[in-house]
Amino acid sequence: MATKKKATPPPKSSRSSIVAWLIFTAVSGGGFGGYINPDLPIVGEIVGDIVARFEAGELPTKEEIEVAEEKLRALAEQSLAKVAAGQPLTGEDGSGESLLATAYHAMVQAEAGGQSQPATQQQQQVNAQVASARVPTASLFIASFNIQVFGESKLAKPGMKQTLAHIIRQFDLVAIQEVRAKADHILPELVAAINADGSRFSFVIGPRLGRTVSTEQYAYVFNTNTVEHDPASVGTVNDPSDLLHREPLVGRFRARTQSPAQAFTFWMVNIHTDPDDVPEEVDALADVFHVMRSALPDEDDVILLGDLNASETQLGRLGQYPGMGWVVSGVMTNTRQTKAYDNILFHRQATAEYTGRWGVVDLKSVLGITPEQALEISDHLPVWAEFSIWESPGQASVAAGPVNPMR
Amino acid sequence: MDELQGLRSQKAEERAAAAEALSHLGEEAAPAAVPLVECCSDEESVSQWAVAALESLGPPPEDSISALERLATSEHALVAYWAITLLGRCGETAQASQQMLTSILNESNEISVRQRAAWCLGEIQADSKESIEALAKATKATDPRLARIASKSLASVKTGA
Repeated sequence: MATKKKATPPPKSSRSSIVAWLIFTAVSGGGFGGYINPDLPIVGEIVGDIVARFEAGELPTKEEIEVAEEKLRALAEQSLAKVAAGQPLTGEDGSGESLLATAYHAMVQAEAGGQSQPATQQQQQVNAQVASARVPTASLFIASFNIQVFGESKLAKPGMKQTLAHIIRQFDLVAIQEVRAKADHILPELVAAINADGSRFSFVIGPRLGRTVSTEQYAYVFNTNTVEHDPASVGTVNDPSDLLHREPLVGRFRARTQSPAQAFTFWMVNIHTDPDDVPEEVDALADVFHVMRSALPDEDDVILLGDLNASETQLGRLGQYPGMGWVVSGVMTNTRQTKAYDNILFHRQATAEYTGRWGVVDLKSVLGITPEQALEISDHLPVWAEFSIWESPGQASVAAGPVNPMR
Repeated sequence: MDELQGLRSQKAEERAAAAEALSHLGEEAAPAAVPLVECCSDEESVSQWAVAALESLGPPPEDSISALERLATSEHALVAYWAITLLGRCGETAQASQQMLTSILNESNEISVRQRAAWCLGEIQADSKESIEALAKATKATDPRLARIASKSLASVKTGA
C-alpha cells in the first residue's frame, strides 16, 4: 500500500534556536504565495502594501483584498490576451531580431517540421489542443534554474520569453532563482508565454530578499496538469539570526494523479546562497533541511534545490546531513562550464521516489545556439531530477550516476 | 576590454549592456572590478548587471585595492558594500586597508556595510589593536549577524586561520 511514510526521528540538533526558526508566516510574514486565492499568483507590490499594513497590526479589509485580487487577475488576463493575439507583451517591436530570436525561431521551425512562418490562429489552436491533451506520465520532472538577473531587460529581449517558456515547459515544476525587478509583471508574462501553446502552468513567487537595495525573488513555476501546491504551505523561512542572505522559499507540492492519497507529496526548498558566505550558508541549510523534515508529521520528503554556489564537495554540514543525497556530481552547471553551483538534494532513503535520472540542460545543444547566446539566457544551466508520481513506501533507489546528464 | 569603455558611456543602455557582457565573463571580468563597483550607484538597469558581474568575478586585481578603499567609504551603501566585499576577497593582500575598514565598522550607519566590514577584517587578517578592539566591541552588537560575523572574524585574526 502506498501510504505516506512516517518521518523517521531526526537526529538531535546542536542548535537550540532551530525549533523556533522555521515559522511559516502566512499573510502576516515575509513570504507567501497563493494565500489570497490559490488560483492566482501572488506578486510583490500589489500585495506588499497589504502585507506591510498587516505587519503593522492593521488588518486589510475584505474589500481591499478583493481589489488586490482583481488587479492581479487583470494583470494576468492582459498578458494572456496579448499572447493569444500574437502581440508582444513588452519591449518587442518586431524589428532588429537578435541572434537569440533567430535561434529560437529556428528551434520552433525544427519542432514544427520545417514551417518557417509565424503560427497561424489555426496552428495556435492545434498547439493548444496538443498541450491540453498532454497526458501526465508516471514521472515528475523537477528542475532548478537560476535565470540570471531575470527582470525587465531580459524579458524584453526578442525571443527571450519564448525561449524561457520552451525550456520551462520541459519540466513539471521549476524552482527559479534571481527574479530581479521592481515591477510585478515578470512572472505573469513568463507564465503567459509558457501557456501560449495551451499549457496550464501557474506560479508562486516570494518576497524581494536581500541585505542591500539589490534584491531578488524566488519563484516556483509548475504545470497544473501534473502538479498542485498547497497554498497555505508556501512561505519564506524565518531566519531571526540572519544566517542566510536570501532565506529559502518553501512550499509543499503534490503530483496530480487520479489517486491523490497515493500521490507523491514533498516540500520544495528554493535557495540562492551568497557567494561570499557559502560555508556559513550551506551549514545553515542543513538546519533548514532538518526543520523541514520534521515540519509536518506526514511529510518527510524535502527537496532542497537551487544555486548553492558550491559544488558537491563544498556542501559542508548540508552534505554531511545523515542520509543526504544530491543529483549533480562531476558535471559543471554554469553556462561557461567552469563551476558546479546548482544542485538538487534530498534524503536518499526517505525520498525513494527519485528514479535515479537527472541531468543538466545544455542550452547550447538543446536550443542549437552559440555559447554567447546561451549566456544571454543565463550564466546558469537548468538542473533536473526525475521522481515517481507515486509515494514510495519502500527503499530508496540510489542512483549511481546520470543516465543522460545533458538532457 | 571594450566593456570598460561601455561602462563609461553617456548612455545608460550602453552601460547596462557593458555590465551585462561583463556578467557573462565570470572571473575574466576582474579587471573591470572598480568601474563595476562604481556602477552600483547607477540606475537600476545598470546596477543590477554590475552586481551580477561582481558576484562572479572573484578577487579583484591587486592594483585595484587603493581605488576600492576610496569606494569603500562611499555614501552610497551598495557601492561601499561591494568595495568592501572585493577587498575581503583580496585576503591578506588588502591588510593595509584595515584602519579604513575599522573606521567603517565603528562609524557606518548602514548595517549591511558594517557587517561586510567586520567580515572583511577577518578575511584580510587585520592585526592592529584598533581593529581587534572594534571587532571585540562588535561582538556585543544588538544585530545578531554583525555580532556573529565579528566573533568569527575575531577568532580568525587571533588564530590566523
